[in-house]
Parts: sequence; C-alpha cells; structure tokens
Amino acid sequence: MTDTPWPRFYVFKQDSPEAPHMNCGSVHASDAEMALLNARDVFVRRPECVSLWVAPAARVAEVTVDGLAGLAPQADDAEGQAYEVFTKAAAKGQHAHVGQIAAGSPGQALRKASETYPDGVWVWMVVPSVAIVASPEDEGQAWFEAARDKPFRHQSFYHTERLIREIKAGQLDPEGDE
Amino acid sequence: MVGEELDQGKLAVFEERIARGEKIEPGDWMPEAYRQQLIRMISQHAHSEVVGMLPEGGWITRAPNLRRKLVLLAKVQDEAGHGEYLYHAAETLGVDRQELLEALLAERAKYSNIFNYPTLSWADIGIIGYFVDGAAILNQTMLARCSFGPYSRANIRICAEESFHMKQGKEMVIRMARGTSEQKQMVQDSVNRWWWPTLMMFGPHDTDSPNSPQLIRWGIKTRTNDELRQTFVDNLIPELHALGLSVPDPDLTFDEGEGHWMIGAIDWDEFYRVIHGDGPCNKERLGARRKAHEDGRWVREALAAYAARAEMAEAL
Amino acid sequence: MKDGLRPHLASYLLAMADDEMVLAHRNSEWTGHAPILEEDIAFTNLAVDEMGHAGLWYRLHSDLVGEDPESYPDELVFFREAPFFRNVQLVELPRGDWAFSMLRQYLFDAAESVWLPALEGSSYPPLAETAAKIAREEIYHLRHTQAWIRRLGRGTEESHIRLSRALAELWPYAVQLFVPDPAEDELTEQGVVPARADLQQAWMTKIEADFEASDLALPESAAPLSVDRRAHSEHLVGLLTVMQSVARAYPDVLW
Repeated sequence: MTDTPWPRFYVFKQDSPEAPHMNCGSVHASDAEMALLNARDVFVRRPECVSLWVAPAARVAEVTVDGLAGLAPQADDAEGQAYEVFTKAAAKGQHAHVGQIAAGSPGQALRKASETYPDGVWVWMVVPSVAIVASPEDEGQAWFEAARDKPFRHQSFYHTERLIREIKAGQLDPEGDE
Repeated sequence: MVGEELDQGKLAVFEERIARGEKIEPGDWMPEAYRQQLIRMISQHAHSEVVGMLPEGGWITRAPNLRRKLVLLAKVQDEAGHGEYLYHAAETLGVDRQELLEALLAERAKYSNIFNYPTLSWADIGIIGYFVDGAAILNQTMLARCSFGPYSRANIRICAEESFHMKQGKEMVIRMARGTSEQKQMVQDSVNRWWWPTLMMFGPHDTDSPNSPQLIRWGIKTRTNDELRQTFVDNLIPELHALGLSVPDPDLTFDEGEGHWMIGAIDWDEFYRVIHGDGPCNKERLGARRKAHEDGRWVREALAAYAARAEMAEAL
Repeated sequence: MKDGLRPHLASYLLAMADDEMVLAHRNSEWTGHAPILEEDIAFTNLAVDEMGHAGLWYRLHSDLVGEDPESYPDELVFFREAPFFRNVQLVELPRGDWAFSMLRQYLFDAAESVWLPALEGSSYPPLAETAAKIAREEIYHLRHTQAWIRRLGRGTEESHIRLSRALAELWPYAVQLFVPDPAEDELTEQGVVPARADLQQAWMTKIEADFEASDLALPESAAPLSVDRRAHSEHLVGLLTVMQSVARAYPDVLW
C-alpha cells in the first residue's frame, strides 16, 4: 500500500513572552504553513501559548554529551548561516530555546553550540533559522485566544468528586435532580 | 566474543540507569528487545486513541444538548491529539508513522480491545468516559513514570487531558443514575455491557503475563495488570453502589480482611475471541479507518504535489 | 433600541445562530474520518469554535425574546422542526468529499470575515461585542481554509477537478448568504446591522484572489438558488432527525 507520506515537522511552543520556545512534539504536514496551522490545533487546545515555531525534522540536528567526541572538529572560518540552539539540561524534559549562533554546517553548528552553551547540558539541538516558520506575531489573539474560553476542556469544570462525596454521605438525595 | 561482552556491559549500565530512575532518551544505547517492546506498546497505544475516536465520534451527531455536544467533540478531538503525541514518541525510536498506520490497516498491529465493542445508547457515552477513560488514567499515570523519556512525557501530557474525559463521563452517569427511571435503566444496561470489557483492558492475569517481569525490570511497567485492575475495582464499586448501580458479577464480594472488592472469574475466551478479530465491531472499526485512509489518498497526494512544486519554485 | 426593531433583530440573530449550528454539525461528521489525523483535530476544532459561536448568537436571541439564555438554546436546537430553522441551505447540504466540505467552509469563513467586522459597528452593543470576539477566531479559520483551497486548487488534476465540481454545486447556495431578509431593511437603516448587498462585493473581491491562486474561475451568475431562509431542502430533515433523536426520545430530562 504505497502512499505519499507527509514529512515530519518539529513543533516549538512559547507559553508566555518571558519563557523560551520549548519543543513539545511533532506533526506531519505537507509543508511548513500547514504544519504551523496543524501545530496550533494539536498543541494549543488549552492555554497558554503566545507563539509557535515549526521546522522540518530533516533540518534538525542533535548531539548528546556522549556524542560530542564523534563530531568533526571546528573549522576555522565558521561563517555560514544562523542556527537557533535548543538544549536540555537532563535526559528528561523538553528542549528549550537558548539562543542563536552562526556556523557553516549542521555538524559545526552542534560543536559551536556545545562550546557556546557548555554548562550542565545533556543534549544540544540546532535548526537553521531560515528553516523555522513562526506563527504571525500580529495574529496572536486569533491563533491562541480561542483556547482560553473553552473551560469545558478542563477537569475542574466538572464537580463529580464533590457530588459523589455528597451522595455517599447522604447529603444529596440519590434520587435527586442536581 | 568481544561483541557479546560489550553488549552485556552496556546492558548492565542500561539497567543500572533505569534502577536509578533515569530516563532513556532517543539516541541512548538500548537493548533491541527494549526498543521493539516500546515500539509495539507505543504504537498500540497510539492506534487505540485513533480507533477510540470512532465509538464515541458516532454519537456527536446525536448528543442531546449543546453542552454535551461540545464536550464530546472536545474529548474526541483530544483523542486524536493523543494519537499524535504517541506516534511522535514512537517515531523517536526510528519507525515511520506511515509504517505504523499501514500495519494497523493490514491488521498486523493491535489496538485496545475495548474499542471493538459497540456504543448502543447515549448512556454508553457516559460509561465510556467513566469506565474506559478511568481505566486508561490508571494505566497512563503509571506509564508517565516509564523509563523511556518521550513515552513518559507523552503520557504526562495525556494524563492532564484525560482527567476531563473521565469526569465528563462520570458527570453524565451521575445525572442519569439520579434521573428518570428510563435514564436509570439505560445507564444500568450500559454498565452491564461495559463492566467486564473494561476489566479486561488491564490485560491478562499476572500469572498469564510472561512479559511483565522484564517490563518491570526495564521500567516500562511499574505495576502489574492485577494490581491496576484491583485499584480500579476498589475505586469504582463503592461509587457505583452509592449511585444505586450494580455490576453484572454475582460473585462480587468484599474481603474485609484485605479491604478489597473481589471480582468473579473473567471470561478470557471472550477476550481472546475479540482480540483475534471476532468481536462485535472489529470489522467496522478497521473498515472505517481504511475508508478514511483510502478516501483521503487523493487529498494527501494533492498536498504533496503542491509542496513539491513550491519547493522546486523556491529552488529556482 | 426601538421596540419595533426587537423582533427583526431576534430573527436576524436566530438566522446567524442556525447557520453556525448546522454548519458545525455537518463539520462534526468528519470526526474520525478525515484524510489525515491532523485534520481530524483541526476540522473538529473548527466545529467546536462554530458551535461556540452558535451558542453566543442563540443566547443573544434568547435575551431579546425574553427567554432563559441557559435553557432556550437547547430548545431551539433540539426541539424545532425543519420549517422553523433559519439557516441558509448552503450549510445543510451533506458533507460530500473533502473538497466540498473545505470549499463550503472557506466560502462561509470568507463571508464572516467581511460581515463580522461590519457588525462590530452595530448600534446594538451586545451584537457589536459578540461580533468582535468571534471575528478574532475567524481570522484563524480563514487562514486554515484558504491554505486548503489553494493547495487543492493547484495540487493534482484530481484535486482540481473535485474542487471545481464542488464550486459549481456550492456557488448558487453560497450567494444566498448575502440575500437580505425583508425585515432587515429597518435594521440596516438604524445602523444595527450592515447592508448585505454591500458585503457581497467585499466578499467577491476577497475570494477572487484565493480563486486565482487556486486556478478556479468565479462563476458567471450570482443568482441564488433560494432567497428565503424559511425554505429548506430535505437534507435538513435528515440532519435534524439524527441531531434531535436522543433529545426528543427523552424530553424534559437532565443530561
């Protein structure tokens, strides 16, 4: 059964203006614009979010502390293009955006990232800045406000535990109409 | 035999990491059996979420008021989202989502048996939330502590959302149990049909689960099937009784000494029959997924073609 | 607001609410059957939003006719017969294939994108505020459906053919969105609602750009199939039979 698979895009979500973009998962889409739209529906059904980034999985490179030794040594003229850097301090948790560097290749970007952000990092991830597509800054309300007024998506909207307690304690008529 | 010794050494380190409560992340060394076990479990979990949209999805169009309609829509949508998170976790282990989907449609992959049962009344929608999501929460809370990082994180996110799923169902059941005699009858009938299949969701008895010890040693499970099942029963029975509902188990007794509700014998013949494709809805469930996939083929092709042309245009 | 205007505005609001409600119901039929998992989530999201919008308009309508906004919307949705619904026929048509549903949603979203901002200028504050709130969500809807139309239009030959076929079928229904109800004249005069005919031009201009990007031709004739929101197809009967089945089987109970 052959089919046209859609490529994978990593998704990064920024919960508030002061917080960094964090990798929250991935979506499959045919192109970046669709990926961004899909990401909003998959990852932002509940607050909080102020900004979304997507990047094709094929453009993302990662290395762990253990893998650093296997990287090619830094070239002297490390110009080239801008890369966004994401790190994780421990094996668990999500990658968080820490900054931007310039490098001539993904391998060199990883090496430079490990040197620019050396402390307490378990894994570095780099993505060429041009490969990242961001949600429009001036449409933040349209993209993310809808999630805020749907309280029925939250478990606190349902008072089941109180109801059961009251029924058990005989405070509520079991035949009642609450 | 240097290769074997190396692997044995790596295995020991791996198991020590797990024993220390560390997460294994994609790219870390892992025994092939661990990787395969996880791919199987995670993809099954993902398929369950996606197929699980169908029994309830069919009732969105018949929800009896606006609030229930909205809530059910939101719930089923979440389930699709959970499928997404889980396929993503599986993909970090090196499989392609397309492969997993093809395995499902070709009946080479499984999904949770519970979704092979039909939803016959509106009360079923409440019971599915209360029972099935309730059982899933117990399982997923455990899996949130699993040793494989991406699967653990996916389950954490899922648990946060699943709580609303269970509660909205429970709220419906409470209302019906305290409603008109017709509603009570409807919900009791629903309990009668869903009780045993829900208990079977926790899997075979521990004595019949040869994989469990290794899964526990590798931090994929932290509680056994019977332990989870017992917790579920102990939680639900007092609530159901308080609501004036009974479960279809003539052998149900309360063991004062152990402080547990003891259930009767589970009909494992039925379980295996349904798992092997002979359940009431197996054909319909897979049929629906196959149809969606087939009907959607021209759509996926169209978007891929558009993207390819756009890329070429950019390259020029 | 003048007393005489209240029943007219109530009808207007009911029509908007019915449009959203019936469309949301049709969209929800795709849940679990979309071409890709991401769209099961996305299209369902559209349905959730539209149903929320319907709820807002039903509440405003309830306030105007002196009914309880907590309970009256359910009465309207689940216990009215087909002849009493006031939606355009566009939204009651069966969902068809993906091109059909997507194009229908696009035409509707594009229409909302011109008349909601116009409604924000209403002299009736609750209407203006609700329109403003909904307009913000609709920006995102239109982006979504616009992206789809362009891709189906310029995807493969098959997707283009399906989209063209959908357009031919949908167009005479879509233009009904801009047919004013007789009672609207007074509302328009008093600045409560914008004139639909003006909005139609803005809508055509908007969709022209997207149609061009999709290689679709704007149909020649803009004659609506129906000019009366009280007229419905039998599709609505089938839809309501399903939608109201459980509610009607057990009236007066709490779910």
